[in-house]
Amino acid sequence: MATTAESIALPDIPASASENPHEHLMLDPRPRGEMNGMVLESMHKTSKKFWGVVVFLVMTVAFALVGAWGYMIANGMGVTGLTRPVYWGIFITNTVFWIGISHAGTFISALLRVMKYEIRRPFTRAAELMTTFGLIQAGLSIFMHLGRVWLFYWLVPYPNERTIWPDFHSPLMWDFMAINTYIIASTMYLFLPLLPDLAMARDRSTGWRKIFYRIIAMGFRGTEAEWKHLKSAMNIFAFAIIPVMFSVHTIVSWDFAMATRPGWASSIFGPYFVIGALLSGIAAVMIVLFVIRSTMVNMKYFIRPEHFDFLGKLLLIVSMTWAYFFFNDYIVPWYGGSKFEKILEDFHLHGPLSFVWVSMLICNILIPWAILWNKKWRRKPWLMLVVGILVNIGMWIERFVIIPGSLTITRMPFTWREYKPSIEIPLTVGTFALFMLLYMLASRLIPLIPAWEVQEGQNAHILRKVGKAAIPSVGDID
Amino acid sequence: MADPLTLLALFNDIEPAVNAIDKLHEMGVPDEKMDVISGIPFNHEVLGRPKVPTFVPRLAMGGAMAGLIAALFLIFGIPGLFPLHVGGQPVFPIPPFVIIAFEMTMLGLMGTAFVGLFLAGRFPSYEPVIYVPEISDGKIALVFPCPAELQAQFEQAMRSLDAEQVRLMEAKPL
Repeated sequence: MATTAESIALPDIPASASENPHEHLMLDPRPRGEMNGMVLESMHKTSKKFWGVVVFLVMTVAFALVGAWGYMIANGMGVTGLTRPVYWGIFITNTVFWIGISHAGTFISALLRVMKYEIRRPFTRAAELMTTFGLIQAGLSIFMHLGRVWLFYWLVPYPNERTIWPDFHSPLMWDFMAINTYIIASTMYLFLPLLPDLAMARDRSTGWRKIFYRIIAMGFRGTEAEWKHLKSAMNIFAFAIIPVMFSVHTIVSWDFAMATRPGWASSIFGPYFVIGALLSGIAAVMIVLFVIRSTMVNMKYFIRPEHFDFLGKLLLIVSMTWAYFFFNDYIVPWYGGSKFEKILEDFHLHGPLSFVWVSMLICNILIPWAILWNKKWRRKPWLMLVVGILVNIGMWIERFVIIPGSLTITRMPFTWREYKPSIEIPLTVGTFALFMLLYMLASRLIPLIPAWEVQEGQNAHILRKVGKAAIPSVGDID
Repeated sequence: MADPLTLLALFNDIEPAVNAIDKLHEMGVPDEKMDVISGIPFNHEVLGRPKVPTFVPRLAMGGAMAGLIAALFLIFGIPGLFPLHVGGQPVFPIPPFVIIAFEMTMLGLMGTAFVGLFLAGRFPSYEPVIYVPEISDGKIALVFPCPAELQAQFEQAMRSLDAEQVRLMEAKPL
């Protein structure tokens, strides 16, 4: 479909005459019917290997998550490695890690939508799904930490049997409000742009899928009024969910920073946590895009080296910002000379877990800086997968160092004790398995590529001749 | 006079669809009687049609206010009912109010924007409607009423403007 649009400069596609403009998805359009067919084929074509992996993940979830959690509930929290002075261990580490992962969906989808970064179009849904499934793992990890998980409703703001309401002076209540707001909002935000693609799937499906999509497409047809209401709601979400995203990880950081513990009482923890969340989230999107691209049919058309290149640049900037905040958080206590802060920093640098602390810096700073400056390397999906995995290992370690790693050193030296996780390890494996399982099952039911958004973007793009070069340009048709 | 028929003209591209809208205006079909159905959104300026009103933003603002009022209750109402002195903090604290007020306001804003879409778009609706599946494959449909005696004239006008199909439509389940 051709449109005439006024040519303006395009910020996110390099205007180089040496590049083939058709390597950009936005400049390589295909008929919408064909594109829809490709998206649906990627959902329907399922190999035996896929189901083999699903069975393996189901079994892992059954044993490592359900089984281990059941054992912990039956025997109490004594089966964990939690003991004085480390009462917050891997469960809280996992909670913070998964909330961090969930930030990518909002950041990539909402912020890039607001900023009109056209390159976002094919992978917003993949990132939004990560947000929802990541938050599920974060919620489960908090429940594990609760111990008596059946009493979770005590956090809900209504009077309990002692007619006492939750106390909103507590940062843990702020956390409850912020995380729940984010879970609800990001799930709704996932659904909104999905509606037209569900209608498309309804129109092209038969059998049980037709019934399923007919129900969840809710009668969407694509009338002018429906598009107007949908775009209006999406705009409200795109703007509103960004500050909520920032608030969530800031409030998570206050769970620690509001305590006067060495290593935690830091005024920079809010932005430091937010940037850490973005670092792990963007790296996770790269991993997911690699897996989608290499395991699902037709995905090489939608997910291209240009997308890894863009995410690589973003990751490099965020890694530099993370390093800046890390150094700030390190140097101020070091300079301040507080006795226990000094002991804690020595413990991180020279203690039994010093290799973990050094690994964090290698994974979060050295690896991204060494690789992501090079455009050719950024365009190699397998290399971006390696960087993504290492950065996520580094970010998980960072949370481990901050939480149990810092709790080891208190102001009462007679309580110092190293944290040795036990049942936390299978439960951690279980959350990762559940995340992968949910994602794989969703990939069979939900179009991972927002076909209508890709076509809308392709309609807006044209090649503009400047001198002897064809320059990619985009017209603003919003 | 017989009840008007409903015609659906299907176009491959936006240009002929926009020309057909102009033609329908010339033939006396007012904007409010016709509808454009498409697989991607088109701005009303692209279509040369009046702006479609939506109450979603206003509803969302109302939701934000409701969220703020709920936050006021949580922060100031609860300690009023059950005063608790915690850590030397005031019974009615302002800084935690800012946090709870922000979260509740945003939840109210987004929650009602979501519900607003359903109310404004009348979703979910499983009633019979006028629709063809080709729309989600990129075709653009113009749906308009036409008097029975002028059906041939309207069909001819649409075909002359590159309509791929012109069909007499009745509402069917999706």
